[in-house]
Amino acid sequence: MLPSSPLRQLAPTMARRVRNPKTVARLASIPQYSAPVTTTSSPSATTQRWHSNHTSSPSGPSSSSSSSSSSSSVNPDEISHFNALAATWWDPHGSSRALHLMNPLRHDFIQNCRSSSPYSSFTVLTEDASDLLPPSSDAAHNTTHNTANVQKLRYLDIGCGGGIFAESAARLPTTSSVLAIDPSPGVLAIARSHAKKDPGLSPKLTYLSSTIESLPTLKPEAVTQKFDVVSCFEVIEHVDHPSLFLDHVAQFVKPGGWLVMSTIARTWTSWFTTNFMAEDVLGIVPKGTHDWHKYINEYELRGYFEETEEKRRFWGRPRAMGVVYVPGLGWKEVPGSEKVGNYFLGVQRLAGEDNA
Amino acid sequence: MEAVARRKAAAYVCRSCTRQFQRQLRRNYSNSAPRPDIYDVVCVGGGPAGLSLLTALRANPVTSHLRVALVEAQDLSKVKSWKLPPNKYSNRCSSLTPTSALFLDQIGAWEHLDQTRVQPYHEMQVWDGVTDARIEFDWAPGSAPVEGTTIAYMNENLNLTSGLLKRLEQLGGVSVFEGANVENITFGEEMEDLDLSQWPVVHISGGKQLTARLLVGADGANSPVRAFAGIDAKGWDYNRHGVVATLEMEGEGWGGEHTKIAYQRFLPTGPVAMLPMPGNVATLVWSTTPENASLLKSLSPKDFVAMVNAAFRLSTVDLAFMHTQGTDQDDEYSWRLQHTSFNPRAIPQTVVGVQEGTVASFPLKMRHADTYIGERVALVGDAAHTIHPLAGQGLNQGQGDVQSLVKTIEFAVTHGQDIGSIMSLESYVSERYTANHVLLGVVDKLHKLYSAGSGPLVPLRSLGLNAVNALGPLKSFFMKQAAGSGTKIF
Repeated sequence: MLPSSPLRQLAPTMARRVRNPKTVARLASIPQYSAPVTTTSSPSATTQRWHSNHTSSPSGPSSSSSSSSSSSSVNPDEISHFNALAATWWDPHGSSRALHLMNPLRHDFIQNCRSSSPYSSFTVLTEDASDLLPPSSDAAHNTTHNTANVQKLRYLDIGCGGGIFAESAARLPTTSSVLAIDPSPGVLAIARSHAKKDPGLSPKLTYLSSTIESLPTLKPEAVTQKFDVVSCFEVIEHVDHPSLFLDHVAQFVKPGGWLVMSTIARTWTSWFTTNFMAEDVLGIVPKGTHDWHKYINEYELRGYFEETEEKRRFWGRPRAMGVVYVPGLGWKEVPGSEKVGNYFLGVQRLAGEDNA
Repeated sequence: MEAVARRKAAAYVCRSCTRQFQRQLRRNYSNSAPRPDIYDVVCVGGGPAGLSLLTALRANPVTSHLRVALVEAQDLSKVKSWKLPPNKYSNRCSSLTPTSALFLDQIGAWEHLDQTRVQPYHEMQVWDGVTDARIEFDWAPGSAPVEGTTIAYMNENLNLTSGLLKRLEQLGGVSVFEGANVENITFGEEMEDLDLSQWPVVHISGGKQLTARLLVGADGANSPVRAFAGIDAKGWDYNRHGVVATLEMEGEGWGGEHTKIAYQRFLPTGPVAMLPMPGNVATLVWSTTPENASLLKSLSPKDFVAMVNAAFRLSTVDLAFMHTQGTDQDDEYSWRLQHTSFNPRAIPQTVVGVQEGTVASFPLKMRHADTYIGERVALVGDAAHTIHPLAGQGLNQGQGDVQSLVKTIEFAVTHGQDIGSIMSLESYVSERYTANHVLLGVVDKLHKLYSAGSGPLVPLRSLGLNAVNALGPLKSFFMKQAAGSGTKIF
């Protein structure tokens, strides 16, 4: 059951989906298929996708400057798929139920990431020693009574879909603002109309129809002010060129801030659970939501942040958390499962300069 | 309770929006449409469940910023200042399990109860009125839970609500609407910038309207909130009444001041229970037929006392006969007692008097709501379930509901969930529904099992009771369940 998400639920027609287990077995037997992308010399379909535009040398975040804002990492087929799902986005028993259930874990993971490092996006800006304290629920509580002394977080949610994560982030007392973007107008309309049902959201939550590439044009201050938490949940498996996409994302993360992602590993198990069981057999996730070929393994995603010296100076060590959906119980953290199925990956930006 | 300060613009979600509303309110002052008065939690019902819910929310640092309101039909200042002379006790008492007491302590309410009026008890004597099969719930050496040997605490309901109100006043921050009846519950309106069409609006007497992110029905068995949410409650009436009274005993009990004992005898008409209060006082809960109940209420104090003593001593045949007498039960009892043999130390000490004006009765029923939640609605306590009092679990179930609901709300707040959404309330139902259902079912079956005066069930149930009594570990298990300290089954 898998994750379905805004962007994720997107992957419809494109589905070069593998329905025949034999095909999968064949694919899995191709050595390059599972080899780390950085060492691949003759890329398979999947690795080509990962590298496209970067086949020679995936450079650092600086490469984002080389892409024009007209190019987009978003696949138009994906957009139409998610538009079609919009109506049931907020139905607790609808197509996005698995996503709703996963949402609390996203906050736990962010909390976990932020408390893992004494360095925060506020350290840099304020030099206030109290900011070194890891956030806790007590701190969250104090915020409401002591707003002057506690820094609140700015969130950028990329591929926000119907706003499941964006709304929840905006509700946290520790949040100052959430900018949520998505290229699908249909789902954004759903997100906006749902946000209208909660009077607490409007002061903090802004939706914008945009891709990450066009965001600097639409909202130049998003680049200059940057964000404490940049999230792209269940998104990266729906974009055509993940590494290019991540290059773009980097410029929105405050030094000391965190980029937090979740996606699905491309394994036998994930094909069986997310494609075959969840979509075809159980129907928990709408058909066509996932394109198994676009799944990204944890070591591949981690590799992006560690592949060059430049990147290692720019990003901290990635943190991962594997999660497993147990029908009837919901999502559970299972250490080690990041190698197998759904996982979160968080990485802290260290460097202060966008172009290292 | 007006002294309880009303927190302004301090809501979890509504902190900034309240400010916004106030601005808009000023701006729209000329318009006739009033801007909604929005609360995070509106609790209808100021009984033990509703009050402990609000106390727990206010005492918890994670939820204390929620904007909360209480709507209660009674005048709460009378409840808060409730006081009786030391030798007088209210007839409405409940048994609080150690789990409930611990929860009340955690939310800072326990210390506000008048402790001189709270009576822990340490043993239970339960027997079958037809066969005399018996189970003695006394802790075998080493089997008592670590926290002590207390099975439960007997306490007047008013002592609890009064203590909760004092704690709530200390915490502050609750908008209290007392002496206010719920006249109607509707949905909010859809405006240009705000869609409240799925938010409950509570209309209270005086014209005030409260809009609720989460509307909690702690409003009893005939819950208007449950009716608003369209949630059905199924069950049946037992055709029994619970007769209660405050009794004066000949002494402090066979165990003395420090080992108090609760007694329950299963009669074919229903169980009769005598529960210890401080000193020479005990409280009676006698489940019986409506006819017997009205007879008992009509008796002189002397005859009523004789009937209670008879209920724990005489054969069920003798007792049935005495219910046919209009009066003079006292003489009848004295005569019949001479011809009945029993072990006086295995039954309660003799009742010597009944506190004036405390004999009362109420109908017994079993109800269970189909669910405890709806969109922006949650039910707790009697609004969700009504149980036969024979196990003394009704109030404790309500406290268990509250504890679980507060945990659910706390999780929702820390994870940015809308505390009124079905999605965030689901865990409350899944945690409580089955547990309550099992307990309702067990108690219901117990009632039915012991209602049989003869037939094949009678020897079987006695066999069961004797067997349980003989098996130490099983008995210890039941005691821990009763004390709420064992593995969570019920």
